[in-house]
Amino acid sequence: MTPSSVATPPAPEANASGWSRESGQAPPESSAGATLRRAKLGDALLGWACRLSAALIALMLISLIVVLVHSAWPAIRQFGPGFLVSSEWRANEIERPVRDAAGKLILRDGETVMETLPPAFGALPVIWGTAVSSAIALLIAVPISLSAAIFLVRVAPKLKIAGAASFLIEFLAAVPSLAFGVWALFVLAPIFQTYVGPFLYRIFEPIPGLRWMFYESVTVAGRTIERPIPLTGRDLFTGSLILAIMILPIVTSVSRDVLRAVPRTQIEGTLALGATWWQSCIAMLRYGRSGLMGAIMLGLARAAGETMAVTMVIGNNNQISPSPFAPAQTMASVLANEFGEASEGLHRAALLYVALILLTMSLIFNVIARRLVIGRLASVSH
Amino acid sequence: MNHRLISGFASVAIGAASALAGDVRLSGAGATFPAPLYTRWVSEYEKGHPSVQIDYRSIGSGGGVKAIADKTVAFGATDAPLTEKEIAAMGGTDSVVQFPAALGAVVPAYNLPGVDKPLQFTGAVLVDIYLGRISTWDDAQLQKLNPDVKLPKTPITPVFRTDGSGTTHVFTSYLGTQSAEFKGEVGVGKQVKWPLGQGGKGNEGVAAVIQQTAGAIGYIEHNYAIANKIAFGAVQNKAGKFVLATPESVSAAGDTSSAELKGNVLRADVWNAPGDGAYPISAFTYIVLYKQLENIKTPADASALLGYQRWTLGPGQKFAAEMHYAPLSEKVQAAALAALNSVTHQGKAIPAQP
Repeated sequence: MTPSSVATPPAPEANASGWSRESGQAPPESSAGATLRRAKLGDALLGWACRLSAALIALMLISLIVVLVHSAWPAIRQFGPGFLVSSEWRANEIERPVRDAAGKLILRDGETVMETLPPAFGALPVIWGTAVSSAIALLIAVPISLSAAIFLVRVAPKLKIAGAASFLIEFLAAVPSLAFGVWALFVLAPIFQTYVGPFLYRIFEPIPGLRWMFYESVTVAGRTIERPIPLTGRDLFTGSLILAIMILPIVTSVSRDVLRAVPRTQIEGTLALGATWWQSCIAMLRYGRSGLMGAIMLGLARAAGETMAVTMVIGNNNQISPSPFAPAQTMASVLANEFGEASEGLHRAALLYVALILLTMSLIFNVIARRLVIGRLASVSH
Repeated sequence: MNHRLISGFASVAIGAASALAGDVRLSGAGATFPAPLYTRWVSEYEKGHPSVQIDYRSIGSGGGVKAIADKTVAFGATDAPLTEKEIAAMGGTDSVVQFPAALGAVVPAYNLPGVDKPLQFTGAVLVDIYLGRISTWDDAQLQKLNPDVKLPKTPITPVFRTDGSGTTHVFTSYLGTQSAEFKGEVGVGKQVKWPLGQGGKGNEGVAAVIQQTAGAIGYIEHNYAIANKIAFGAVQNKAGKFVLATPESVSAAGDTSSAELKGNVLRADVWNAPGDGAYPISAFTYIVLYKQLENIKTPADASALLGYQRWTLGPGQKFAAEMHYAPLSEKVQAAALAALNSVTHQGKAIPAQP
């Protein structure tokens, strides 16, 4: 029992047994029996209501998985695990003449032989887009978040602004993702397009090893063309940047809780051993490292599942390009883009297959994160 | 003040009474592309026919076809004509009526600051832009087509629709007529795999990318480009003329197909239409009915539905150009009316609307 619930005196009506025991004064026999019975009935009802609600939540998750697997089944059956490594995503049928190895048209009875390519779906480009955008987002967000967490735990209390600073950071988490998306589209992307992009181009393009950043090769019908990537500000990089901003609050606030749980004795011990302020911060981070890993995993789960804001600035092209300045697509954004009009059976199933992969991934990230964070907080508090 | 209040109450009361008098309510669903025109039609028609209420929901062509097949609406609307499979699901050619209601066009829209005159494009150049072979605006091919314009060195960002749409279908169908390579590599369809470029969801998504990016080019619907004041170019037609999308040039493209429009299930692909004045990236948008109107309960409902559809093919057509769609030419109107007039109500002739 937590201390706060002990402190509140039990309400006589709500807890009849407690009332009769503590007051030491027996109420009239019949009414006490009735109250007791009523209380027992209430206990049972509440108990069952709680169990039912808990079961309902579990049932919702299970039915979500069952429905997803069922609707994705045509795609799972057709593509199998190869779906994860195939990069072709094409919803339309293509009819074209058959060519031989030398690229010549094959003729039969004076007519060209035609072949029909059925629609093909592979998730590699969106898995790539999700993985790379989340990774870049973490790379940007984690150092900032950890620094902010240290600030909140060790500096802000002395300045008496810990409350206000925490509030501001948590407020960021409450901003709807659409608002981030609109901001990214109308502020971030144009800034990148007009200033940052040309600046980066001028600095890095002449460096011999970095050509891949600014040029893309387009292969059509066996012919490959290398062309400069237009720096539009709607690309993998901007998508990652907005993701970084969006995961900052959760990584910061969980890290703050983890660091706050580091025992004072640990910090005082390091200082007593002659550590500088900086070294004691490092020791603090090291002490909380598994909890901090958990915070990062929570950020990763959020980044991988984020939809609206990313869709607005990532460029929405199902391609794998090594350049961060090329448009890309994530699992969540392909769903946002294509699900509404995907009436055709296999296309719909393929999108649901992507959703299933996304759900599985987030589930794994979340489970690992919870274990790390809760394990950490529990072991620290004992 | 009091007068106005009372007359207001009176008109509300009259409105309620006429609704109670059990007049006709009809529903339609489908294509989003002609939805602004259909909404206008409904409101104009209801002014002259206060006893009829029509409700059009723009849920997409696919949804419209499904709704009419399921008989949950009086009429369906679709940009892509019914496929053979869809016709079979509705009971075959003899039980379906499909006719064009208006035309729309897809335009190559771009963002090139400093270029005020509409640029000129050929199909081949559009193919090369979308296959990545033309990568800057001052490319020799583009400059040759536009000798009077000083084209900038800006890189070209092709923009496409990421959601399945009739717009993509019309545009890729047109490009497919221009290049066998495009047809064999990218293909034709409501949603295709573009080899490069930026994606946007819906006309508004594509338009947003174009408006924000100097050097972007994308395909959007004509009326959308006009409404949002986005510059768009002229396209060379089959006769070799450069034509801008206008109600007249798009109607002209539809007119060339009038010989093909026979029977009760009408369809014609009018991209790359012949004729000097025809705009080459045009398409019909269709209305779908059951030929026996077995989805309509009463003869009164049937006559109201027929009355409304006849009106759209006659007096209603003048609103098409106003809304930046294109009206059907006279010959196409006649073919569409002939198809519409083959409709019966469960085998019985439909009485004229009172």
